[in-house]
Amino acid sequence: MERSSYPSEIPIFEFPGGIHPKENKQLSNQSPIAKLPLAKELVINLKGQAGNRSIPCVEIGEQVLKGQLIAKSDGIFSSYQHAPTSGKIIAIEKRPIAHTSGLEDFCIVLSADGEEQWVELSPAKDFTTLSRKQILARIFESGIVGLGGASFPSHIKLQREDGIDTLIINAAECEPYISCDDRLLQDNTDEILKGAQIISHLYKDLKIIVGIEDNKPNAIEALKAARTKLEMTFDIAVVATKYPSGGEKQLIQLITGKEVTHGKLPADLGLVMHNVATCFAIYEAIIQGKPITDRVVTLTGKACGKPGNYRVPIGTPIKHLLQSTDTAKSQKLIMGGPMMGFEIQSIDAGIVKATNCIIMADNNELKPEQSSLPCIRCGECMNACPASLLPQQLYWHAKADEFDKTEEYNLFDCIECGACAYVCPSDIPLVQYYRYAKSNIRNNRVEKIKADNARERHEARLERIERVKLEKAEKHRKAAEARRKAAEASGQADAKKAAVAAALARVQAKKEANQKSDHEASNSQQADKTKEPKA
Amino acid sequence: MILSSPFAKKPNSVTAVMLWVIAASLPGLAALIYFFGIGVLINISIASITALATEALILRIRKRPISATLMDGSALLTAWLIGLALPPLLPWWMTILGTSFAIVFAKQVYGGLGNNLFNPAMVAYVLLLISFPVEMTAWIPPAELAGQTLSFADTFSYIFTGTSSQGYDINSIRQGVDGFTMATPLDHVKTELSQGYRTQEIKAHEMMTGLSGIGWQWVNLGFLFGGVILLFRKVAAWQIPAGVLLGILGMSLILNVLNPDAYLSPTFHWFAGATMMGAFFIATDPVTASTTKKGRWLFGLGIGIITVLIRTFGGYPDAIAFAVLLMNMTVPMLDYYTQPRTYGHAKTKGVSNE
Repeated sequence: MERSSYPSEIPIFEFPGGIHPKENKQLSNQSPIAKLPLAKELVINLKGQAGNRSIPCVEIGEQVLKGQLIAKSDGIFSSYQHAPTSGKIIAIEKRPIAHTSGLEDFCIVLSADGEEQWVELSPAKDFTTLSRKQILARIFESGIVGLGGASFPSHIKLQREDGIDTLIINAAECEPYISCDDRLLQDNTDEILKGAQIISHLYKDLKIIVGIEDNKPNAIEALKAARTKLEMTFDIAVVATKYPSGGEKQLIQLITGKEVTHGKLPADLGLVMHNVATCFAIYEAIIQGKPITDRVVTLTGKACGKPGNYRVPIGTPIKHLLQSTDTAKSQKLIMGGPMMGFEIQSIDAGIVKATNCIIMADNNELKPEQSSLPCIRCGECMNACPASLLPQQLYWHAKADEFDKTEEYNLFDCIECGACAYVCPSDIPLVQYYRYAKSNIRNNRVEKIKADNARERHEARLERIERVKLEKAEKHRKAAEARRKAAEASGQADAKKAAVAAALARVQAKKEANQKSDHEASNSQQADKTKEPKA
Repeated sequence: MILSSPFAKKPNSVTAVMLWVIAASLPGLAALIYFFGIGVLINISIASITALATEALILRIRKRPISATLMDGSALLTAWLIGLALPPLLPWWMTILGTSFAIVFAKQVYGGLGNNLFNPAMVAYVLLLISFPVEMTAWIPPAELAGQTLSFADTFSYIFTGTSSQGYDINSIRQGVDGFTMATPLDHVKTELSQGYRTQEIKAHEMMTGLSGIGWQWVNLGFLFGGVILLFRKVAAWQIPAGVLLGILGMSLILNVLNPDAYLSPTFHWFAGATMMGAFFIATDPVTASTTKKGRWLFGLGIGIITVLIRTFGGYPDAIAFAVLLMNMTVPMLDYYTQPRTYGHAKTKGVSNE
């Protein structure tokens, strides 16, 4: 593929490992971003972002306008969702979602009326008049999430203010096939840069660095031209094309030479990183007042009839995308890139905000299903790992269910980029083993908390039983004492009478003690029930 | 079945790795044939047939897929390396014994490809060396020095019957033009040193010309050439042969500086015996070598140092096989203590944890 000869404006560092898969970007990056006909029905996944489900705030049968709020954040960790077009809400129900296991989840189904009628927008021509709080609120209310693929709610990422001095715009787009950021950089350069200015304004002027791979010469030229036009200052960091240079941690390493310390965030290095599409969404949200209703999606693959980049409304079913690009037959549909994406199980699912690419692959385009051979410990995976892990050791221990060992080998530092599996001569699906180990460890942690609670409850119960027993014994002792005293008081005048009286007293005491302890036991049992923690 | 990412795959396969190693050994093999006759080819053939048959048999007993596993090329490669390592006129049944032992006890018993601790080819070699020391050290002189030329029929006859087609035994072919039985240069040095000769005097012998003696230097150069191809193709990890050669260099240099009369020079060690084949083709077997970068350095260095020590002070003239097997034992420990520093972590974990 064509490489830019433009040298980086700042020194570039290295990250270890990495691979050079076939880029296949020219399939889709040749023409400007276009539009496809609107789908009749849009399926908006309420869990279309990282975190929790959004909560619907419309009713079935309700007419909505484009951009109208249809689902709210749960207030903790989720985002707002807006009507991608005008029309009528026809269902809020479980539908197949774009998920690696083909799950169903709650979706709002919108029947489009084709009018594309917007709600009333409140654009802010001059964002500098807005306060930090106002801008963050607007970003939150516009439903903006990281559009690079992770869909982490952006307002959360932008919350922390102290110590941030640099904004890195992630324009690396290192996954093969995907070209939506490349095209957006060429077609909407000014808007992206203004979006970056808004972010920079949030922190009172940040140093801005655009990190981009050298396989996007046109985008680099566009950035240079727009910089002169807008009289902006920022550095273009041109990095060599190597997957996964666009991983957050890897791009930080390339640009700053620093590593994000284990367990810390980029913010701890004074950095905040946003994807170009997120900058564009922020521009639209603040300057035009538009919430996210669509996004640029790369539709590509050798089976795709009209490959290219399209602005696709959120919730557009994949079936509609196949039809409107004249894609008759595709052997395999991948959402995301070939390295980290997943196979689409149902073409009825709608796209979500994280959907940057759909690969409509033909027969021999992607890896065929094949059985793997034993690991020969060649170490290719180690050489490819950008996190300097030992993938082969992780595989070995994950396969043997030795999860504590996988943690010792830093399993959770694996970013699941797939570089190891890409180079493996034995075709071992390594990443699958890491996901397996990770989910087992997470489950075990939950189980452990549950078990700890159960153990605590059990111990409390044993203690209670012991206590009741001791109390009982104490009462017996007291009753016996009383009897002895009574006998002494009667002066042992009539020993026989005294013996009878003592026996009666004993029976009476026993009765009382039994009643009392029963009562106590049932009381404490009830107390237990109310104390029981929610597991 | 739902496949998980990545969906892209580098065209790369275990079989290709194995075949590359075989292909890269061809220059060394050519040199062996040129100087020592076609016996080595017969050895390779016997070993290959034995390895494939034994592997198929064991896979059948273990109820594992046979043809798919044979196609991975690992059994063939083991046989190939055994064939390259054995003396050219070794009796046929010894080759069969060694090879089948390697496949059964050094490979399949551990669970097959990828699971064995010891290098199968070297297990075969050592088994034969300690069982049949005479036959295993009976190298014939290189063609240029041989009293008589060895025909194809004679080679065949020696291997399968123990005598030449005219009925001479193997010692007749081992005699040089002067009528003395010839040993390998390493063997020769060992014997002469024990008789009190100095290295300078020993090297005056006609077979000791060049870097490490007639024939042997070219065999080593051949394996070096093929080995470098392996490194460029990234089939073998470069740290291992670098470590082996550096280990040999360091150890032999120390001894040589201390007493040049009694100890051989690093150059001689580098190009003598099985050095280059061991460094590039044996030690680099990924299954039985260390997998970390630092670990590979240590693994290689260990082999180099042990080789020189055994060659110098041990009872055997060459020692690559022993050195490799000894270092194989250290691999789990090397792997554990040489973990790389993971991104975002301060220290290497294996060390800080203990």
